[in-house]
Amino acid sequence: MNYQHRFVIKVTGESGMGVNSVGEILAKSLKNSGMYVFAYREYPSLIKGGYASYQLDISDKKINSSSSECDILLSFSRLSLHKYLKSLRKGGTVIHSVIKVIFTQEENEIIANRELTVVYVPAREMAITIGGNKIMANTVMLGAVWQAMNLDLSKLKQMIESQFANKPNVIPGNIKCLEAGFIQNLGDISKSNLGLGKTDNFTDDLLLTGNHAISLGAVSAGVRAFYAYPMTPSSSILSYLSTITHETGMLVKQIEDEISVANMAIGSMFAGARTMIATAGGGFDLMTETVSLSAITETPFMCVIAQRPGPATGLPTWTSSSDLNIAVYAGHGEYTRLVLAASDIESCYLLTQVGLNFAEKYQIPVLLLTEKQIAESFFQVDKMPEAIEIQRHIISDQEAQNVKSEDRFAVTESGISPRWLPGQSESVYKANSDEHTGDGSLTEEADLAWAMYNKRLRKEDTLLQELPEPIVYGDSNPDISFVGWGSVKNTILDVIDCLSEFTDKKIAYIHYEYVYPIKTKAFKDFAKNSKRLVLIENNATGQLGQIITAKTEIPFWEKLLKCDGRPFFIEDIIEFILGGEENAM
Amino acid sequence: MPCNTCVTKPKPTEMKDFSSKNIFTWCTNCGNYGINAAVKRALVSLDIKPCETITCFDIGCNGNGSDKIGGYSFHGLHGRVIPLACGVTLANTENKVIAFGGDGGTLGEGIGHLVHGVRGNYNITFILHNNLNYGLTKGQASPTTKKDMKMNSSPDGQTSENLHPVRFVLSLESTFVARTFSGDVKHMEYVFKQAINHPGFSFVEVLQSCPTYNKQTPHEWYQERVYDVSTIEGYDTNNRVQALEAGEDILEKIAIGVLYQDKKSIPQIQRQFNRTEIKTQLVEETNQYPIENLLKKFM
Repeated sequence: MNYQHRFVIKVTGESGMGVNSVGEILAKSLKNSGMYVFAYREYPSLIKGGYASYQLDISDKKINSSSSECDILLSFSRLSLHKYLKSLRKGGTVIHSVIKVIFTQEENEIIANRELTVVYVPAREMAITIGGNKIMANTVMLGAVWQAMNLDLSKLKQMIESQFANKPNVIPGNIKCLEAGFIQNLGDISKSNLGLGKTDNFTDDLLLTGNHAISLGAVSAGVRAFYAYPMTPSSSILSYLSTITHETGMLVKQIEDEISVANMAIGSMFAGARTMIATAGGGFDLMTETVSLSAITETPFMCVIAQRPGPATGLPTWTSSSDLNIAVYAGHGEYTRLVLAASDIESCYLLTQVGLNFAEKYQIPVLLLTEKQIAESFFQVDKMPEAIEIQRHIISDQEAQNVKSEDRFAVTESGISPRWLPGQSESVYKANSDEHTGDGSLTEEADLAWAMYNKRLRKEDTLLQELPEPIVYGDSNPDISFVGWGSVKNTILDVIDCLSEFTDKKIAYIHYEYVYPIKTKAFKDFAKNSKRLVLIENNATGQLGQIITAKTEIPFWEKLLKCDGRPFFIEDIIEFILGGEENAM
Repeated sequence: MPCNTCVTKPKPTEMKDFSSKNIFTWCTNCGNYGINAAVKRALVSLDIKPCETITCFDIGCNGNGSDKIGGYSFHGLHGRVIPLACGVTLANTENKVIAFGGDGGTLGEGIGHLVHGVRGNYNITFILHNNLNYGLTKGQASPTTKKDMKMNSSPDGQTSENLHPVRFVLSLESTFVARTFSGDVKHMEYVFKQAINHPGFSFVEVLQSCPTYNKQTPHEWYQERVYDVSTIEGYDTNNRVQALEAGEDILEKIAIGVLYQDKKSIPQIQRQFNRTEIKTQLVEETNQYPIENLLKKFM
C-alpha cells in the first residue's frame, strides 16, 4: 500500500553494528528537517549478531504507528538484507553496504516485480579512505540515505556534530564521510520524492520513548525512591532515571530481585516516601504476593508493568499486551486494585502521576501497563502535557494530633481510612499482613474479619464513581466499531486519519485507559451504536473483551488479535477493514 | 522522626510506652518473651520514642509479636522482612528500624534477602530468632536444624546439613555480627543496644529455646554452654578472622556477645553519590519537580 502522508525508512544490520545510533540520528535529523517521526525497533535478545531494525515512519502530520512496509531499506549486514528485502514497497530502494551480495531467485523476482532499485555503497572502504576509520562506515551510509531522500544536508551535519560533541577529534572525519556518502553515485536511483506536503518547523518538538515519559511522570509526581531489577522492556526506566539522579535527587537503585523490589517499595511507601517500581510480566509474577500485601496493609503501591510476549521468557525483546489478566487477577485473596494502561507519551506521563495519586488516596496497589511498542518506540510530541497536582491524602500534622490508633484502619463507608505516616503522631499503628482491627492488631474474630475484608473491597465502588469512562474516537455513525486498549490506539488513530485514501467505510474506536475496575456505560452506548463490533487486542485470547463481556454480557463475535510479538501495523487494520468479515477470527 | 507531642512535651521513655494491650500468644517459656522484653528495655535505655521506632516482623512465631510491642510496626510476608525494613530505613533514616525473622523465613525462604541486606549495609538491626525449627507450622525442620534430627515431616530424620548463621553472615562483608541467648534478658539488652546504635546492617542471632518443638536444646542446654566473647583475653571485635574462630563452636562452648563490628561502617543511604549534599529525608521531599531542563535532551 502507498500512503499520501507516510514515508518509511528501515535501517537494518546486526545487533552491535550501530543500527540504533544511525536510527536515532536519522530520527532527530528528520524531525529537525520539519517532519513528524515515529521510530520502531526490532531486535533480538542478544548483544552481537542476529538482525535488528530501526524503522522510521515519517509524515507531515502526527503519526504514532508503524507500517509493515518500507520505502527505503538501509542495510549494513548480509543477514538483515535478506531478512528485510521483502518488506519493501513497490518502487522502493535498497541501499546496502554488503560486499558481493547474491540474491536468490525468489528475491530477484521480488526485486523485479516490485520494481526495486538496489544500490551498493562501499561504505567500509570509503570510511577507511576518507575518514581513516572503518567505524565511520555508518556515517557514509547516513549520507547516502540522506541523498536518496533529497534532503538538505545541514540538519544532518548539525546532528553529527552534536552527537560527537564530547569527541571533537572524530567530527572532521565523520563530516567528510557524511559528505562523501551524500554525493556518492547511487547509479540510476531516482531520488525519492518523500511525497510529503509542506511541513512546519518541528525543531523544538520532543522525540522520546514511553519509558522516558513514565520516568518524567515519576519526576513530576515527586517520586523519591525508584527500585527495579532490569527486565526488558522496562529496563530503560531504571537506566534513564539513574542518569538524571544528580538533577532530581531521587534515590534510584537496582535491587537483587523483584521480590525485594516490591517489598522495599512497600517499606518506603509505608515510611512515607513516594515510591515507584517497574518490571515486565515475568518480574511482576514474582511480585504478586507483595501486591496482596499492599492490599491488606493498605500501603500504597505503584508498579509499571512493561509487557512482552510470554509465557516464561517468551519473546523477550518483542511486544505484546497479554498481561492484563495477571494485572487484574494478581495476588491471593480478594481486594481492590486499579489497573491503568498507557498508549502514548501523553498517557505514559499522565497516568504515572494519576496512578500515584490513586495509590495514595485509596491506599491500594496501582498497576500501570505498557508494552514494548510503547516503552521503547520514539514518539514525536510538540510538548509535554501539564503536570498533575500531587495529592497524597495524608492527614495534616494538626489532624494527626487528634487521631487515635484505631482510626488508621477504621471501617468506613467509602472503604478509605485516614492515613498518617510513622512518626507523624504519638498514636502509633501496626500495618499487619494478618487480618487486623483498626489499629492493626491481629484478629481472627469472624465479625471483625468480615467487616475489614468488605471495607477494603468497598474501595472499588468508591473508585468506580471517580474513574473516567473510556474515550470514543472516530466516526459517530461507524461501519466498524473497534474496542481496544494500549498501543492499538496509536495504530487505529493513524488508520482513521488515512482511511479515506482507501475506502469510504467509517470506523470508530473506544479506548480503555482505565482498564480495571472497568467502566461500562460508554461502552454499552458504543456497542448499541455499532454495526460491527470488533475487539482488537495484541494478544491471543482477547483479555479485555473477556472482562467487558463478563460485566456487560455483550459478546464479541469478531476479534482482530495478534500474538507474534509484533505490534499492529497500519496494514493489519486497513486490510481487515477492506477485507470485510471473512478476515474475522 | 519524633512526633509533635514528643517534641513539644519531651519526657524520658518508659517501659510502659512500649507495652501493648494485646495478649501474648506464645507457648509457656517461649524464648520470644525474653526477646520482646529485652528489645523494649534496650529502646527505653537508649531513650528512643515509640513514635520514632519502626519494628518489622517476618511471618512465624516471632511475627505473632508484631502487635505486642509499642511503636509503629509492619508485619510483612514470610521471608521478606529484610527488604521491607531496608525500604523503611531508606525513606527516613531518623527512624530506628528493627527487623525480626525466624531461622525458617530468614535462612530458607528469604536467604537471598539476608545476603543482599548485609552487603548493602542498610541501616537496620536484624534479630534472627533461631530456634532450630518452624514453630508456627508445628515443628518442621528449618535450615538450622541439625542433620538426622527427626522432625515433623521428616520422621526418619532430616537429610541436609545445617547452616551456621554467624559463620555465614561473617563471610558476607558484614559490619556488625552478634549472638545472644533468649534466656538472658540482660545480655540481649546489652547486645541489642549496640546493634541499634551501629550505623549499618546489624545482624544479631538469638539462640532461642523452643519448649514445644525443640526438646534437644532447651533453655538449660544453652545456659550451660554460653559465654561472652569479651571474656576472651585480648578479643578484638574489629577482627573478622577472630570472630569466625570464636563464633565457630555451636555445640560445646558457644560464644555470645558482639563478635564483630566494623567501626568505619557506612550505611547504604550515605553511599548514594547524588545525595551527599542533601540534608532532608526522602519522606520530606515529595514535590512536583520541574522537567523543563530534562526535556532539552529530547529536542
